Amino acid sequence: MSKKYFGGCDVGSTTGKAVILDENGTVVADAIVPSEIDPEETSIVVLEKACANVPELKSYKDLAYLVGTGYGRNEVAFANENISEISCHAMGAYTCAPGVKTIVDIGGQDVKTIALGDDGSVLEFAMNDKCAAGTGRFYEAMSRIFRMDLNEFSDLSLKARSVIPVTAQCSVFAESEVVSLLAKRNPPEDIAAGIQKAVAKRCFTLLKRIGMQPDITLTGGCAKNTGLVQALSKIINMKVISLPVDPQIIGALGAAAYAKQRHSN
Amino acid sequence: MNDIVNKVQEKMGSLTDLMKGIWDDSLIEYLVHTPTTKDALMHLKYWAVNQANVLNFGRKLVSKVGLMGVKSILENNPWILYLLKSDTLVRRLAKGKTGRYHESICVLGEALHLGITELLEEMYFDPSRLVIIEDMLPPDLFQAMGLKVYNLESFGLFLPMLAPDSVLAYIDEAENAGVNPDSCSLPRATIGMVKKGHLPKGLAIVTSNLPCDSGMSAYSYYRRAFNLPIYHLDVPFNFYDERAEDFFVKDLKDMIAFLEQHTPGRMDWDKFREMCINRNRMLEVELELWDMLRVRPAPLAGEAIWLSHFWHYVVTPGKESSANYMKILADLAAANLEENTPATINENYRTLLWNAPFFQFIDIFNWAENNYGITILMDSLSYNHYEPIDVSTPESMLKGWGRVVMQGPMVRHNRGPAENYIDDLFRAYKQFDIDMVWVANHVGCKSSQSLNGMMREQCRAKGIPLLMLDYDLIDPRIVSHDSMLRQVEHFMDNVMKAKKLGQ
Repeated sequence: MSKKYFGGCDVGSTTGKAVILDENGTVVADAIVPSEIDPEETSIVVLEKACANVPELKSYKDLAYLVGTGYGRNEVAFANENISEISCHAMGAYTCAPGVKTIVDIGGQDVKTIALGDDGSVLEFAMNDKCAAGTGRFYEAMSRIFRMDLNEFSDLSLKARSVIPVTAQCSVFAESEVVSLLAKRNPPEDIAAGIQKAVAKRCFTLLKRIGMQPDITLTGGCAKNTGLVQALSKIINMKVISLPVDPQIIGALGAAAYAKQRHSN
Repeated sequence: MNDIVNKVQEKMGSLTDLMKGIWDDSLIEYLVHTPTTKDALMHLKYWAVNQANVLNFGRKLVSKVGLMGVKSILENNPWILYLLKSDTLVRRLAKGKTGRYHESICVLGEALHLGITELLEEMYFDPSRLVIIEDMLPPDLFQAMGLKVYNLESFGLFLPMLAPDSVLAYIDEAENAGVNPDSCSLPRATIGMVKKGHLPKGLAIVTSNLPCDSGMSAYSYYRRAFNLPIYHLDVPFNFYDERAEDFFVKDLKDMIAFLEQHTPGRMDWDKFREMCINRNRMLEVELELWDMLRVRPAPLAGEAIWLSHFWHYVVTPGKESSANYMKILADLAAANLEENTPATINENYRTLLWNAPFFQFIDIFNWAENNYGITILMDSLSYNHYEPIDVSTPESMLKGWGRVVMQGPMVRHNRGPAENYIDDLFRAYKQFDIDMVWVANHVGCKSSQSLNGMMREQCRAKGIPLLMLDYDLIDPRIVSHDSMLRQVEHFMDNVMKAKKLGQ
């Protein structure tokens, strides 16, 4: 094989993501798959899926360097190195948008805020990994109540004329509260907007802990939720910028960028 | 039959855990795992001295109050039993250390044992002279009046070092009585102790407007609970001028008059002079020690520095023994420096700890040192700018002593302009060639929250790696020990890009 390829694999709690970079640092393939029970299996499946898009790669074993990240990274025994998702999200965001100074990463089961230096290094971070409030799982539960997928739920919230506050912080109690609000015939779009605002407020609290600086961006699967992006922009009174690549693969992109960097060193 | 087998297995499992816990805390286990025989013998020597000290105190207590008196004291002050863990604390702090660094912890352990027994003597041997003071006031001036004295809040700080869960029942007691659970846990624990009647009453209370609102406001409760006359020292907000110093000297004179009115204590200026001289000696030795800490790698670190300062300056200031202990530490550091022997061979990161240390998880420092080679070289409570006290006249001594109170690190940091807090940090950062700053982000401390925000901005501008380590001063239920360790691990992994030693 004449060219070298570098892989990043982000084994999250809900989905596995993989990114493959070529020697120029260009993304040549990426993939997202639902997480299996076994993180190693998830990583193999997602890497093979990404490699299938690169004719020169027969298997992930042909990668010149592979970095694993995400909660299941320690189970990816075949990776050359494991790097935390905080560092990888920072590196990923910096790689595709060097002006980013603050990241809100909403993953399947946790929320993190990360402050970046001028060189993309992590200056500080804060995380909520104790409860599901405001995470991808929370959104799954909420959209299930509305019998919608996440995109439909996001679109619904954008149609709101007013915002009905959802005060419960806990996912379980919030679910009960939303069911009650719906049962009382409140407009679903206003309730959906209330949910977005509640999550945005939680993000704001985490952002305050690290001191936010523009540019701010959202990463993780929930970054595709336009309703949340708008609610967060409003709460923090700052524009939340969109990244030029799928925000869900930022962690894997960062891991791949590290892989390329480590291999060069 | 299966049930019985399961129950037996369960009981055996609990028994095994209990035995393991006892073994892990035991002296024998410690001695077996001490790096060298010399260290083991050194530890054994100090252990024997400490035990003799405790036994001597027990003998004096029995002869003073009788066996029934001892029983009554223990029933009314059950927290005293936690003090028996002092020995375990020394082993926890010394674990993994060797040579003079290990000896410095043994010396500190001896000072802790001596200080505790002396404090208990003050509290229980002569109630007709007992005065309660607030924790920002050093006890030496009161002792110079021939009074027995104890800091009301000191147990809320000291007991969690011995056992993290030791004051939780007191915190709950205060909260159940309606104290705001968002306030600092130290006054809450102290209120709980007072409410349960677990602290001796004394003749009078002396407090001040330091260091924070919740601490200060708790004194209105203590006054009512103890039903005692109280004197409030009014520390000026702008304390860096002659007018403020004169104002405070007058306040101190009024306080002395108050105590002479309400207690049998009389000011003995010769005794006070002697105590001020001991203070000056201690300061001189500490500055020598600081100079040696600037060397990389440092000849001493960790508790030998920060806990020694806390103990000798806050709990037992003005005593000849305190000055002597500080001198021993400085001599140990000097000997290490002369032989080019670092405190720890793994000094990878020199760290500054800002804000009150993790009293309920004191082991985190040893963990950080053993896992990452992180040495704590200076902390905000130790970083003082005292000047020697002029002992020529009573007036000059009061002025100097007053300056110690007004300009004490925590006082200076939590009052006055933010520069006091932030400039000190940058000065210490440079002075001790620090690699990263840990801020002990006590979630119940409202005073420091906004300061920490400002400090963060300035640290970023200067490129100083900063860890805001969330914790609660004395309540491990708010932020668990595990969570605190994970915060450090994440920080080392993501910000410092550091691996654990041996990885």
